Amino acid sequence: MTRAFRFAIDHYLFLPVGAAVALSWANNWPASYFTFAHRVSFMVNDVGMALFFALMTREVVEAAAPDGALHTWRRLMLAVAAASGGCLGAVLVYLGYLQMGDESSVLAPGWPIVCATDVAFTYFVASNICSQRVIPFLVLTAIVSNAIGLVVLELRYPIGEIHAGAGIALSMVAITAAVVMRRCDVRSFWPYVLVSGAISWFGLFLTGLHPALALVPIVPFLPRTSRTRRFMVDAPLGARDALSRFHRTWKYPGHLVLFMFGLTNAGVVLRGVGTGTWAIAIAALAGKPAGTLLALAFAVAAGLRLPRHVTWRDMIVVALVSSTGFTFALFFATVAFPVGPVLNEAKLGALLTIGVSVLATAVAKLLRAGRFAERAVRRRASAPEYVGV
Amino acid sequence: MRLLVTIVLGVLGVLPGAGGAPTQSSVRFAVIGDSGTGDRVQYEVARQMVAARTRMPFELVIMLGDNIYGHQGPDDFVQKFERPYKPLLDAGVRFYAALGNHDNEHNRFYGPFNMGGERYYTYTVKNVRFFVLDSDYLDPKQRTWIENALRNAGDDWKICYFHHPLYSDGGRHGSQVDLRVVLEPMFVKYDVNVVFSGHDHIYERLKPQNGVHYFVAGAAGQLRKGDVRPSEMTAAAFAQDQSFVLVDITGDDMTFEAISRAGQIVDSGVIHREARP
Repeated sequence: MTRAFRFAIDHYLFLPVGAAVALSWANNWPASYFTFAHRVSFMVNDVGMALFFALMTREVVEAAAPDGALHTWRRLMLAVAAASGGCLGAVLVYLGYLQMGDESSVLAPGWPIVCATDVAFTYFVASNICSQRVIPFLVLTAIVSNAIGLVVLELRYPIGEIHAGAGIALSMVAITAAVVMRRCDVRSFWPYVLVSGAISWFGLFLTGLHPALALVPIVPFLPRTSRTRRFMVDAPLGARDALSRFHRTWKYPGHLVLFMFGLTNAGVVLRGVGTGTWAIAIAALAGKPAGTLLALAFAVAAGLRLPRHVTWRDMIVVALVSSTGFTFALFFATVAFPVGPVLNEAKLGALLTIGVSVLATAVAKLLRAGRFAERAVRRRASAPEYVGV
Repeated sequence: MRLLVTIVLGVLGVLPGAGGAPTQSSVRFAVIGDSGTGDRVQYEVARQMVAARTRMPFELVIMLGDNIYGHQGPDDFVQKFERPYKPLLDAGVRFYAALGNHDNEHNRFYGPFNMGGERYYTYTVKNVRFFVLDSDYLDPKQRTWIENALRNAGDDWKICYFHHPLYSDGGRHGSQVDLRVVLEPMFVKYDVNVVFSGHDHIYERLKPQNGVHYFVAGAAGQLRKGDVRPSEMTAAAFAQDQSFVLVDITGDDMTFEAISRAGQIVDSGVIHREARP
């Protein structure tokens, strides 16, 4: 039991399990499922997800630090180019697909959904099929894509009544409090979360921005100890800094939140498939990889370089893997569309983007890229040599 | 027994209140959904509406969404709305539209749809208040609006209509349970009498659900032939041809007839409004 739990944690399986339960529940007992989802959606999406975004921010802070896996501006520039191209390609294909029918008016506002990339899911897919050298680039591309999508969503779809003045003032108070705590060498993460985090939550809520992002501007102020580390690994057991303690304390509740997010948001009625479903799926399958590769080609032509020992075959696989929207696409969909059939269509499309990862695995095998290239080399090395007679 | 008598009388076309001159207090209207195809069958349904009006002179038509399919330029409004319903428009019949997933949201500014530029709105005809929702985009603002509008309405009859059905046995789409969870508690709490929707290209009348009567009438242009999977909540259904619904509200009774493209009455009955404390 403990091993199964550990395996589920290590492979980020709580979200897919929650999604699978939700799908089964929604399609067999829709009335009870949607009543449940309606009741808990605020607590999960607006409160609980703040923890998930805080943990993701912690990953970014660790990785972007001078000793982190994603450091250096060259990596950043290439990732920004790839992410921008990917988003642009996906959005163009999404809107283009809608133009072929007559539902554009209803579905077009959902275009930021196709910018989403599931950071954790793509990381674990990439870990199994891509070369380790390409993973920091992939993760950075995913983060930038989501940042683009989130900024657009937050600007286009304010939530509830907007009291911008009070909201911005509260957000400034929250960040100032975090800065002061950092200056005063407050080493526990609790005051950062409970004081700055709570104020930030109300600040974003009043501003009309999604309060689930409340801890994103706070986490970078948590004291951390400099160390060399890889992406998305646990903080060392002996680490006593606030950021590491925050991660150790909230890692398991974070997975529970992901399970609840999958359970609350992934329950879609399968026969609710519609134009929006296909528009999102095709944008992820074709638009985003094509846009990513084109942008990379332009960036390289402009003087940027691919990561060392990374080939274009690797990049084709990366472009496909980074088109998996899943969690983030579900989240973006709930921001872009209110409850109803259009949201159902969009969520189905978000779930279908998981298929792009399957395609990426097949393409990697076909092209002998990443791990498949390494396996081929190992097989060649271990094969007996035939000597002609 | 009462229903049986009503259906028999309705089929015979002698239903009390279904014909003749309107009384002072009666509100008569037609219901069309998923109508705007612009093809021959839409025109044939429209001709049946005109014929029915000689028997039951309705003064308004409620449109349940997908009012204009495909391209939505000025010519399309002529071909898919103005021309088929010209005799009705010329006779002064007013149309009140809800938006469907195939409608451009800017269609709310189209004068003959009488939406006043709003995605959701309400209006009163005599003792009947109509609430028109945009079920494509039921955002918190609209939810707050409908709750307040229903709470403040003191009319005898409260009728809601929008595109996506909360209850439907249509095979293609079926019940929109996610919308139902949000809307139905309000409908029950504030005593909504009847709800009309389209989206599924069939006609269906459902048994009252928590005291509310639901109709699916999404076959005034489109048709998904035979696409009904009757269930225990089905009261009547028809999916062999295009259809529309005629309604007469007089006092505490709402008389209805579902009429096919061929002019056959395929369902009829009376809904009696219970006096509420």
